[in-house]
Amino acid sequence: MRTLAGAGDLPAGPGIVCGVAGDVEQGARVRFELQVEDGKVAEARFRAFGCPHFVAAASWLTDRLRGAGRSEVENWDWREAAEALEVPPAKSGRLLTLQDAVRDAARNWPGAGQSTV
Amino acid sequence: MSTVVYLDNAATTPVDPRVIEIMLECCGPDGDFANPSAVGHEPGRRARSRVEQARAEVARLVGATPEQIVWTSGATEADNLALFGAARFHRSRGRHIVTSRTEHPAVLDPCRQLEREGFEVTYLKPGADGIVAPGQVAAVLRDDTILVSIMHVNNEIGVVQDIGAVGRACRARGVLLHVDAAQSAGKLPIDIERDCVDLLALTAHKVHGPKGVGALCVRREPRLGLVPLLYGGGQERGLRSGTVPTHQVAGMGRAFAIAAEQMAAEATRIGALRERLWAALAALPGLRLNGHPVHRVPGILSVTVDGVEGESLLQSLPDLAVASGSACASTNAEPSYVLRALGHSDRLAQSTLRLSLGRFTTCEHIDYAARRVRQEVERLRAIAPPGVGAGQR
Repeated sequence: MRTLAGAGDLPAGPGIVCGVAGDVEQGARVRFELQVEDGKVAEARFRAFGCPHFVAAASWLTDRLRGAGRSEVENWDWREAAEALEVPPAKSGRLLTLQDAVRDAARNWPGAGQSTV
Repeated sequence: MSTVVYLDNAATTPVDPRVIEIMLECCGPDGDFANPSAVGHEPGRRARSRVEQARAEVARLVGATPEQIVWTSGATEADNLALFGAARFHRSRGRHIVTSRTEHPAVLDPCRQLEREGFEVTYLKPGADGIVAPGQVAAVLRDDTILVSIMHVNNEIGVVQDIGAVGRACRARGVLLHVDAAQSAGKLPIDIERDCVDLLALTAHKVHGPKGVGALCVRREPRLGLVPLLYGGGQERGLRSGTVPTHQVAGMGRAFAIAAEQMAAEATRIGALRERLWAALAALPGLRLNGHPVHRVPGILSVTVDGVEGESLLQSLPDLAVASGSACASTNAEPSYVLRALGHSDRLAQSTLRLSLGRFTTCEHIDYAARRVRQEVERLRAIAPPGVGAGQR
């Protein structure tokens, strides 16, 4: 929690897609911004409200997604973060929210017929 | 300053060096280590003398006589002895018990067990300020009510209940009153005679004494019947069998004697520190004080920080020892039932910090803690998605 890489927003510009999921009242909400260049994620940022595991996993994902294409983003699975960060089973449900946000970003991919930020 | 600022004195306190000193005098081969029940020899009589001196010191703090003090392993056992002991002894008079939803689990869990044994328990809902109005208690007393259990100071939010008014209402109806005074003994004046308290649970470790020792103060005139929890050697007039741990009770006695000497001055000093802390934190948008703003113990400040997840805030403050709004312990991630009883949503209950001050808390600690909490709240809010909490983008 002391150093959270990738926190914040990307500078406004073309090719930025956004993915959002979660509900503050349920204890977890996250927003990802992905800068897409040549069909791959060039840079990523997050904003998150949630438990330390959730926030740390969101931070970890901004690095993990760099270089990923749409298909990889669309199929990213929460278990990867659970394993990489040794997230306890009790917190696994929160990671599903991350997966939802990442897939929401894939739906908004440039050229996918959805809006871009 | 230590690398971690300790502001969790409502959970437990460090043992005062003066207490450690007297405990050590009761441990070693040259000390008063003997079994205090073995009064047939000199070492046993010396140990007994230590125990009786401590009994008098504990009694003095709460306006009792030494004969009213029964040693236990802590407030949890004292609460259990009071509730089970009184309910089982007096069950022929009635089976109705009254308590509140914000009591400590050491009261609520025995009440649930008593329900399984055929008793009926009324759980009063306090107001949004955490106060149980004495009129609420009086209104639910029935002819078959045998016992009321109301804590003096709430461990999570620090509000002080008017136990005197509750006590008078109970006494007028011939109902026993049990009070858990774990958080108030040594911090607020207590007089069981004035307040019509029949059973008072005490512990040493909240007031710079050792863990593992406490007491139940039991009314003697007229005599109050209790069924013991433990059977064995018949110690403590048969109410609590088991060898009395001389070093523990001597430590509790010294801790209570010191607390009695320093109570007025410490209440002023710690109350001023708490107000300094609150003033420094209150500038944060979306911050609210939990519990009644006036009727509160000096050392506990509970604040809810909207827009910040409590566990993340706690993790972001490794240099502060504070408690979150989870139920009673950070080992349990469930939102606090106390805060929920006050009307907080689960999210707000989990966005709560309890900072509790003690004898060794300094102004420097308070200023550091206030600065660090502000820093981390602002940092976590800065990374929160739009629309989260108060004062957000």
